[in-house]
Amino acid sequence: MRDKVLVIDDERPTLKMFTLLLSAYGYDVLTAENGLEGVETFRREEPGLVLTDIKMPVMDGIEALKAIKKINPATEVIVITGHGDMDLAIQALNLDATDFINKPLKREALEKALTRARERMTIARNAEGQVVLEEKTRAAVIGVRGNVTAMTMPRLTEAFEQAVAMGKEALLIEFEKSASINGAGITGLTELLSDNAGSGTRVYLAGLSSNFRSVFETLGITRFAELFEQEKETLTDG
Amino acid sequence: MSFSERVIARFTRIGLREKLLFSMLAAVLFISVAIALISRWILVSSLTNELEMRGFAIAHSVAERGGSYLLDNDVPKLLALIFDEARLRQRKDLVAYIFIEDQKGNILAHTLTHKLPDSLRANTLPPGQPDSIKLIGLGNQEVYDLAAAINEGLYRIGTVHVGLNKRHIDTLVGKLRVAFLGFISAVVIITIILSSWLSKYITKPVSDLTRLSDEISRGNFDIPLKLGSGEDWDSAACPAFSNTDLPCWHFDQSRSGQTPAETHRKCADCAFYRKHKGDEVVQLGDSFRNMVWSIKLYRRRLRESEEKYRSLFDSGPDPIFVVDCASGTIRDANPRTSELYGYPREELLNMPFLELGPEHNTACLDFFIEGGGGCVYYPKRLHYKNGGEPFFVNMHACPISYRGKQAIIIAVTDITELIEKDAQLIQAAKMKSLGEMSAGVAHEINQPLNAIKVGSEFLSMMREEDLDIPKEHFKEVVNEISTQVDRAAEIIDTLRSFGRKSDLIEEPVDLNQPVRAVLSMVRRQFELDNIRFELNLAEGLSPVQAHSNRLQQVIFNLVANARDAINDVSNADGGGDRRILIHTGNHDGRVFIEVKDTGGGIDEKDQQKIFEPFFTTKEAGQGMGLGLAITYGIIKDYGGEIRIDSTKGRGTAFRMEFPAAPARGETKA
Repeated sequence: MRDKVLVIDDERPTLKMFTLLLSAYGYDVLTAENGLEGVETFRREEPGLVLTDIKMPVMDGIEALKAIKKINPATEVIVITGHGDMDLAIQALNLDATDFINKPLKREALEKALTRARERMTIARNAEGQVVLEEKTRAAVIGVRGNVTAMTMPRLTEAFEQAVAMGKEALLIEFEKSASINGAGITGLTELLSDNAGSGTRVYLAGLSSNFRSVFETLGITRFAELFEQEKETLTDG
Repeated sequence: MSFSERVIARFTRIGLREKLLFSMLAAVLFISVAIALISRWILVSSLTNELEMRGFAIAHSVAERGGSYLLDNDVPKLLALIFDEARLRQRKDLVAYIFIEDQKGNILAHTLTHKLPDSLRANTLPPGQPDSIKLIGLGNQEVYDLAAAINEGLYRIGTVHVGLNKRHIDTLVGKLRVAFLGFISAVVIITIILSSWLSKYITKPVSDLTRLSDEISRGNFDIPLKLGSGEDWDSAACPAFSNTDLPCWHFDQSRSGQTPAETHRKCADCAFYRKHKGDEVVQLGDSFRNMVWSIKLYRRRLRESEEKYRSLFDSGPDPIFVVDCASGTIRDANPRTSELYGYPREELLNMPFLELGPEHNTACLDFFIEGGGGCVYYPKRLHYKNGGEPFFVNMHACPISYRGKQAIIIAVTDITELIEKDAQLIQAAKMKSLGEMSAGVAHEINQPLNAIKVGSEFLSMMREEDLDIPKEHFKEVVNEISTQVDRAAEIIDTLRSFGRKSDLIEEPVDLNQPVRAVLSMVRRQFELDNIRFELNLAEGLSPVQAHSNRLQQVIFNLVANARDAINDVSNADGGGDRRILIHTGNHDGRVFIEVKDTGGGIDEKDQQKIFEPFFTTKEAGQGMGLGLAITYGIIKDYGGEIRIDSTKGRGTAFRMEFPAAPARGETKA
């Protein structure tokens, strides 16, 4: 059975194009022209993935996101925001959206977001350990997979404390490509990093998707930790 | 022309003085001559008669006394008697001779020293008659011979002849005539002198008045005015002469009936207006003098006023024309007109006024030709300079009478700078609006771009993956891309036309068009704010003479205010009645557009002020308070009006009304 995806957008032409594109990706595409209609469709069809525009009349994307998360908190909701509208993106993440894409939509971004969502869904289904602590010669490495939410925060905090206790010169938090961080996750991580700022341990964040990197930059997390696209080999050696 | 007519004509031509003189002379002469003739006739005849009587008395006395001598034939005694009688005192001048003849006609005695000429015997006394008189010649002189009978009882015994010297009588009569002539001459001379003086007395002031009147009608008021009383005036003594603000109480008082104010009380005892006691000539002189003073005073005031207005006309900062109503040509123009319009003055004069503003001046001329009274104001009329450069003016036109013809005074103010400033202000406000709109517009443009992007990504993915695209999908995508490009282009066009600076010239605009243009830019933004538009746009609206993008500015201002008003009472998420209603239509030859919101309404006290510049109810930093002021200015420019109907808590409706533009073809372009 093809995965169901619900697209909510007030623009009919966009919906039409989305339908063609997502069908080509092998999804079963459901469409709704506003949040209200979207929530109804969601309730009826229960798709695992929802793509929603934010600015819509009648009921906007944020409202729809709240409603959908209320119905099923595990739903992957990717919000589509106007280009560079980071405030809205962060607001959506705070409401447990799992990812966001900018408008005008780039296929690459869409593909990545879709892939990440699929992986997260698999992880969630397999219920594997999402936070793993590894000790390397020069650094403590925390591997993170799936969704970083309020639920994963206690585990992450524990791992972080253990890693700090190892007394290594550096601490690397390595996110899997599919990893997503919601609002609560971002807040928790920010707290951890700022509390740590006083100690000598330098913290590096690696593997974050470009979306989350820009969110972190916007929120000023870069003050407490360095961001890398790839994991730093020197740190992961041995 | 008969003789009498010629005389009368000649008489009317000669001067009054001569007339008086001649008339009086003629009358006096006639009377004197008549008196002289009558008296002379009476005197001469009675004198002659008296002398004759004296002659008869002598003759009878001789006859009485000489009768006895005659009977006695005592000739010496007779001779002595007649000599005595003839030589008695003054008688010797009168009596030329006395002789006595007897019954038979023999000369008995005579007083002549020579022989009695026979010519003396011509006067014979008929029998039965006591005496007789006859003029006879004696030598070279004439003598009245008086014969008287000498009677003795019933018988005549002789005749006494007494010769009276006619020359002596004539001398007496001559003396009498000379006396009369002298008298008449004296009377005539006295009459001439008198009448000459009298006529001079009467005619001198008259001819003086004539001379003065001539001088005055030639405009020379500075001549000394010595009339009758012989006093001249000093203008400085009259306060009203030098100070034109003061009324001349003597003159103006009679009109208003008011009494002079305390400060001018002295004028009540005027130094110039006076009446002397005297005859009519004196009073005429006074009256004339007063009249001249009055003319002089008011002529001076008139000249001063004329000079004042002339200098106002010439030095006024604005161009002023005097336009003839009948021909529509410029009759006079002040120097500013040539400066502004760029025509030399000579060219301006007699130029048709229409040439300066063909579109708008017709209305002005027609108004006055059709007999419109009072002054009219024409704002924002398009005029052209020499060379065809257009500019805007405000015109004030008032009817006057100019050189006996109906004319219009047209004062023109160049408001190009003002319009330019207005345009700049509107432009600046528009730019601000553009900024406010930008978020909405970005969203509007992002939508088609997004659809295009998704569509093209679909195509490129299918291409890369080497998948077959079903024909209908391909067609759908390509059509959609084209449609969305058009849509984006349209938004950009609307945006550009909104931002463009308006031309000077207005064009006919369908009011629905700016409404739609504004909505195309902001509608989605408003809807995202959960504000819904309800449109009731009437079809077939009459066009309005305006600038489309300024009307867009107006509508944007109103809907933006409406949004702010709605946001004041409810928020996008909280629900509530969040609507903006736009209604257009025709009404009584006017076109209206109504923008109504469901916001908080405007306080009664603020409703009067919201069109004032810099009045704002928004928080500091939220607005300059210029939006509605500019809106108001724009609406007024197009001859429209705007009204507010607002109830606190129930929302506000702005209703704008514009005059419908005349249909094409009706206006002369």
